[in-house]
Amino acid sequence: MNILNIAWKGIKTDFRDTRTLFFMLAFPIVLMLVLGTALSNTFTTSLRVDDIDVLYKDTTKGEDFPHFIAAAEKSGLHFKKATSSIDGEKEVKQGAYDGYVEVTAQGLQLYVNNGTSIEGNILHGMLASFVDQYNIASEIIKVAPEKLESAFTREKPADFIKETSLLPDKQPGSMDYYAIVITTMIILYGAMSASSLIVSERVRKTADRLIASPVRKSEIFIGKVLGSLVSNSICIVLVILFSKLVFKANWGDHLGLVFLVLLTEVIFAVSMGIGVSFLTKTSAGPRVFIMLFVQLASFFGGAYFKINNPEGIFKLITDLSPLTWMNTALTKIIYANDFAAALPALSINLASSFIFLLVAVISLQRREGL
Amino acid sequence: MNVLEITNLTKKFADFIAVDNMSLSVAEGEIFGFLGANGAGKSTTINMIAGLLRSNDGTISILGKNSAKQSRFAKMNIGMVPQDLAIYEDMTAYENVKFFAGLYGLRGAELNERVEEALEFVGLQDKHKSYPKSFSGGMKRRLNIACAIAHRPKLIIMDEPTVGIDPQSRNYILTSVRKLNEMGCTIIYTSHYMEEVEEICSRIAIIDHGKIIAEGTKEQLKSIITNTKDVWIEVKSIENANLESIKEINGVEAVFIDENLIKINSDTGVNNLNKIIEHFMSSGIEIRSLQEKAPNLETVFLTLTGRNLRDQ
Repeated sequence: MNILNIAWKGIKTDFRDTRTLFFMLAFPIVLMLVLGTALSNTFTTSLRVDDIDVLYKDTTKGEDFPHFIAAAEKSGLHFKKATSSIDGEKEVKQGAYDGYVEVTAQGLQLYVNNGTSIEGNILHGMLASFVDQYNIASEIIKVAPEKLESAFTREKPADFIKETSLLPDKQPGSMDYYAIVITTMIILYGAMSASSLIVSERVRKTADRLIASPVRKSEIFIGKVLGSLVSNSICIVLVILFSKLVFKANWGDHLGLVFLVLLTEVIFAVSMGIGVSFLTKTSAGPRVFIMLFVQLASFFGGAYFKINNPEGIFKLITDLSPLTWMNTALTKIIYANDFAAALPALSINLASSFIFLLVAVISLQRREGL
Repeated sequence: MNVLEITNLTKKFADFIAVDNMSLSVAEGEIFGFLGANGAGKSTTINMIAGLLRSNDGTISILGKNSAKQSRFAKMNIGMVPQDLAIYEDMTAYENVKFFAGLYGLRGAELNERVEEALEFVGLQDKHKSYPKSFSGGMKRRLNIACAIAHRPKLIIMDEPTVGIDPQSRNYILTSVRKLNEMGCTIIYTSHYMEEVEEICSRIAIIDHGKIIAEGTKEQLKSIITNTKDVWIEVKSIENANLESIKEINGVEAVFIDENLIKINSDTGVNNLNKIIEHFMSSGIEIRSLQEKAPNLETVFLTLTGRNLRDQ
């Protein structure tokens, strides 16, 4: 009962503390909004291409190229016939047109400013396709002219190549990404408040009153840890719900497993905070250490900027960040339904928590008072 | 029956012996005063009684039971008012008392009743919904007491409960201590204010270097130094006073200054009052008043320890 009494007191005072509420609730929500909005371009996979203006000169007097022009107009390619007084190449160089095409009996000549530009590639591709079709038609006429019409008038040409896009729809957008990484980062910051769970009692001198009461040190310790776990978990649930309902962030279809993984991170953060608080002699020491650790873990864990395919020593450092294993596990659960991905994160979090709690318990047993 | 029985208690911090083979007993219904300068060992002793520190040797019995073996029983019967304020600023006065009283197994209606009773006792019933950060120093001290008495302990330990508060709050607390005693609580009281101890304590122990060097009622302690008298001289200014030369006057044992009041301990067998007055006149120091007093507790303390109670 004393454990619950102490835990409840911790929860109550945590939620009365405006700094805690700001840091655990307002801060992550604002950070998600800012980073999710400001860096949304980084996560966009589509590309907008404006209409393409093409100048052309056709000396063949045939009907094939005008047919191609008519078809291409539907795709946003605008062809304009060049008069004899216009220098097509010069017009393209000056940027008045995206390309210049000369159609002669010998074939097509395409001029574009930048061969690797998207507009140039599109133009090149369409013209190449036109030329291929023209050549096929020429060959058919030579061997079986009666088949030409049937070969080109099929309403729906058969697809000989089946194209399948890999994960086209299940890629996290910026808000989805930052909802995950900011949540895991803010959980880690929970170590800061956990580091003062016992220290603050000593500083406020209430530790003496607690020890003078008929409550075992173990009850005080468990009550404190339990209260902190519940406070942090409630904050995280609220942040997730807010991001899901307001920002429409994707937390997947397996919220139970997602919460379980996040809960183990809360346990890890609280255990680390309380463990570190017993390893340093000054009351400010743990906060400085944890602040530094969380900042580095956040940076290398991709909390501020997405880190793609790190290599060498950089990869080693990113792999050491608790946020890396957390974010990897959550992304796999949410976007690939990979439940097994939860196991490494769960195991590392719980094993590390055990070590930190062990350090705290041994130190507490050796101390007189709290 | 003795509420507290200490036998051969010893506490060491590395090579430093804070409490040295101390023995004492406090009977039921007493207000027992602990007097000692800073570092004398009184806080260490109190902390061991309250269960905050473990002793290296000796035993402490609370209501006849060994506190090391039956710590829960001992703690249930002790109320600790620490020297430093031990309250939560982010909880109301009511919540503070309720939280600490709840640790003693009180629940439900009984708990609420005891909390209200404790707050009423210290005069904070009207402020029960207020946060301590809005309290004066005296009110915080009273809340500090309320947190220690809600579970109705048999033995209340008060470590400097009046430090840093206004005279009105101090009087309130002293009256409260007497009331608690009348209600049947045994009290251990420490203070730097000699007059407080002299006023409320029925028995006093003087501690120095971890040992009890004197113990008894006020009268018993004062009788130890029958050959000493106090001469209190109030002067206009002590700027030109040469204290060392006063000590050279025959019979003068010690000289202390308390603002413009010069307190001289002197041997009752030597008539040196004229020489003392002459010393001040020749030094050009204007005397405003002079009193020859029978020794008080402070004189006893000074004589026994050679130190002022407030010496660091």
